[in-house]
Amino acid sequence: MSSGTAPEGIRIVGATKSFKLDGAPFLALQSTDLAVAQGQLVAVIGPSGCGKSTLLRLIAGLEPADGGDILVDGWTPAEAARRGVLGIAFQDPALLPWRSVLANIALPLQVLGRNVAEAKGRIAELIALVGLRGFETARPSQLSGGMRQRVAIARALVTEPSVLLLDEPFGALDQILRRNMNLELQRIWMRQRSTTLLVTHGIDEALFLADRVIVMQARPGRIAASIDVAFPRPRPLSLFSAPEFAALTAQVADALHTGEG
Amino acid sequence: MQRLARLGIFLAVWEAIGRWQLIGSGALPPPSAILVQFWADRAVYPAHVWATFWPAGIGFLIGDAAAILLAIAFVLVPVLERLLRGFNIAIFAIPPITLSPLLVVAFQGTTPQIVLAAVTVYFPTMIATLIGLREIDPRFADIIRAYGGGTFTILWRVRLRAALPSIMTGLRIAAPSAVLGAILAEFGSGSRWGLGSFLLGSMGQANPARLWGIGLCATALAACGYLVFSLLGALAAPGTAATTMAIRRDPAAEGGKTQGPLVVRLALMLASFLMPFLLWQGVLDLLQISPVIARGPLGVWRVLVTGFDAADERAALVAALEQSVPVSILGMAIGIGGAFVLALVTVVRPAVGRALMPPSLLLQTMPLVALTPLVVLVLGRGLTATLTIVFAVTFFPAFLVMAQGMANTPRAARDVIQVYGGGALQQIWLVGLPSSIPYLFAAARLVAPSALLGVITAEWLATGYGLGNLLNEARGELDYGMIWAVAFASVAVSVIFYLLVQAAETLINRRFFG
Repeated sequence: MSSGTAPEGIRIVGATKSFKLDGAPFLALQSTDLAVAQGQLVAVIGPSGCGKSTLLRLIAGLEPADGGDILVDGWTPAEAARRGVLGIAFQDPALLPWRSVLANIALPLQVLGRNVAEAKGRIAELIALVGLRGFETARPSQLSGGMRQRVAIARALVTEPSVLLLDEPFGALDQILRRNMNLELQRIWMRQRSTTLLVTHGIDEALFLADRVIVMQARPGRIAASIDVAFPRPRPLSLFSAPEFAALTAQVADALHTGEG
Repeated sequence: MQRLARLGIFLAVWEAIGRWQLIGSGALPPPSAILVQFWADRAVYPAHVWATFWPAGIGFLIGDAAAILLAIAFVLVPVLERLLRGFNIAIFAIPPITLSPLLVVAFQGTTPQIVLAAVTVYFPTMIATLIGLREIDPRFADIIRAYGGGTFTILWRVRLRAALPSIMTGLRIAAPSAVLGAILAEFGSGSRWGLGSFLLGSMGQANPARLWGIGLCATALAACGYLVFSLLGALAAPGTAATTMAIRRDPAAEGGKTQGPLVVRLALMLASFLMPFLLWQGVLDLLQISPVIARGPLGVWRVLVTGFDAADERAALVAALEQSVPVSILGMAIGIGGAFVLALVTVVRPAVGRALMPPSLLLQTMPLVALTPLVVLVLGRGLTATLTIVFAVTFFPAFLVMAQGMANTPRAARDVIQVYGGGALQQIWLVGLPSSIPYLFAAARLVAPSALLGVITAEWLATGYGLGNLLNEARGELDYGMIWAVAFASVAVSVIFYLLVQAAETLINRRFFG
């Protein structure tokens, strides 16, 4: 399967996943198909328990799928991880507390066995990109929540990943900071154009950033709708209060609430 | 300043009590007399201290190296921990003094001290390392794995560094234990040098000031080890604590639990039970100790069951157990009970806890059991002395476990009671008591072997009763079979007690805490 010649981006066909919950099997993800074209930014939104994080963890190779095929740039998730295709960031920055900002950003390079010294310039560039110049030697405990999250974003980008997986990367931030981070993420993403899957529970965040919004439903976890978002880029913060944004917001909200009884 | 003043008052009161011989007619000499005697003995102290410190240090290194390597192996291969579970519990439950005569007949020179120090440090370091390696933020592992890293990369980049503060905590507890182990191995070794030999040799000299000087010197040695690793731990700690809370627990942290079909679990349980016996026999075979001296599991079986005077041996052992076990349980009940009541008080009066924590930490580092001669000096050779020793070795660790545990209970829970007008008693009854139950069990498991150790040591050195006396007599008569039988019985009693408490704990936790 892992030929590397298949079309790039993310292709999922019939992926399923169930967990044991108090001894009883629990279907976290019903047979799911999803294709994210190369360079596309797709947001996944849904209530808790809809399987959106499970979907992301399957793509990252953090959990094995029970069935179906998942290809990341034509590779199986495990192979893609080994080849350094992926970049990943979670809701929690998950920075190693004993490492400086610089060393935290360099971690993926070390794990992949790449030369950190050669990447010095790129790391410095990334630190500047996320606005943390002057904090290179700071420890995570010395940074604010927003700064830590920006370190995590820089870490996700350091390997120049062709596929970026973001699991509610701004979920723990307040609304004001979050909007600013959305703007920054757009700026960074427009320079890299990585294939990106963004898991979120903010409708506005999904619509602001994504080319397409996937709406998921719980019990069992499944994809309920796919909504294209055609606003031109770069999208300004004023988009949040535009009437067409409100209309699309209503459409996503409808898709979220149907099927909930 | 206030601390200095308090110390001054403490020393003045002690001096007065000593001067006018208010306790045990001169058994507690004044600090000035202890200092004078210490100065008079200054020529012999360096050799005694060195003879204890050196083997304690070597044993500390060997035991801790084994503990850390095995903890790493347990994390990499969880089934290995299941297999060695019985071994770990047995090592934890061994009252070191029962090994002392065995080691002395089997080895020469400082080897018994080294081995006993290594045995006493193994468990605290192993468990602290294991917890440190396991309880990592699971998202750290996710990050490593998303870049293709495996078990070894996670171990190398995350677990080892994350475990450093926990390892230091383990070493901090292990360091005084090593001193205790080395001293206990000197009891009955007949060697001339070492603080334990010095203490034992000075027992009959009617010179309390010298006994106290040796005791304080041993305490200082143990406290030094504790302090060194406290400082190293403080160096390892800054910025190591995660900046955010993990919601998900690392599944590897559950490594100790068994999964899989019943047959596999039963097989593992049986293997885990047999493992200590296999290792016991294995070590004897490996060292090729004369079978006259060394008895394997079958040898002990012969002594107690199939030997020609097995009935007599059994009767002697049962009689000794009947004397030692109730005293252990009584002393432990008093120690844990007292600690429990005090810990409950700290729930509503946190200031009490803050005041008691530092002296408890200090007293926990004292090689209390090794100071039995001092207690005997003050309290005589009766039951009171034994109970006091057991109380002292169980109270402080139990209090620390419970007070630290209860400090973790959310304040909000008590605030809810207070908002509805609940007083101190209701806060204790409704919040303090239920939240302290798990820590009560943890404390009981932790201190049970110490209680038995305290009783056996007191019996050996002072009261001439029970298991300790039987051990001492067997040693005098070179009755190797009986020495092994007593050691085996002590470990068995300790392990059974451990398992009983654990079973009760599991039952109660499942019943009340989901």
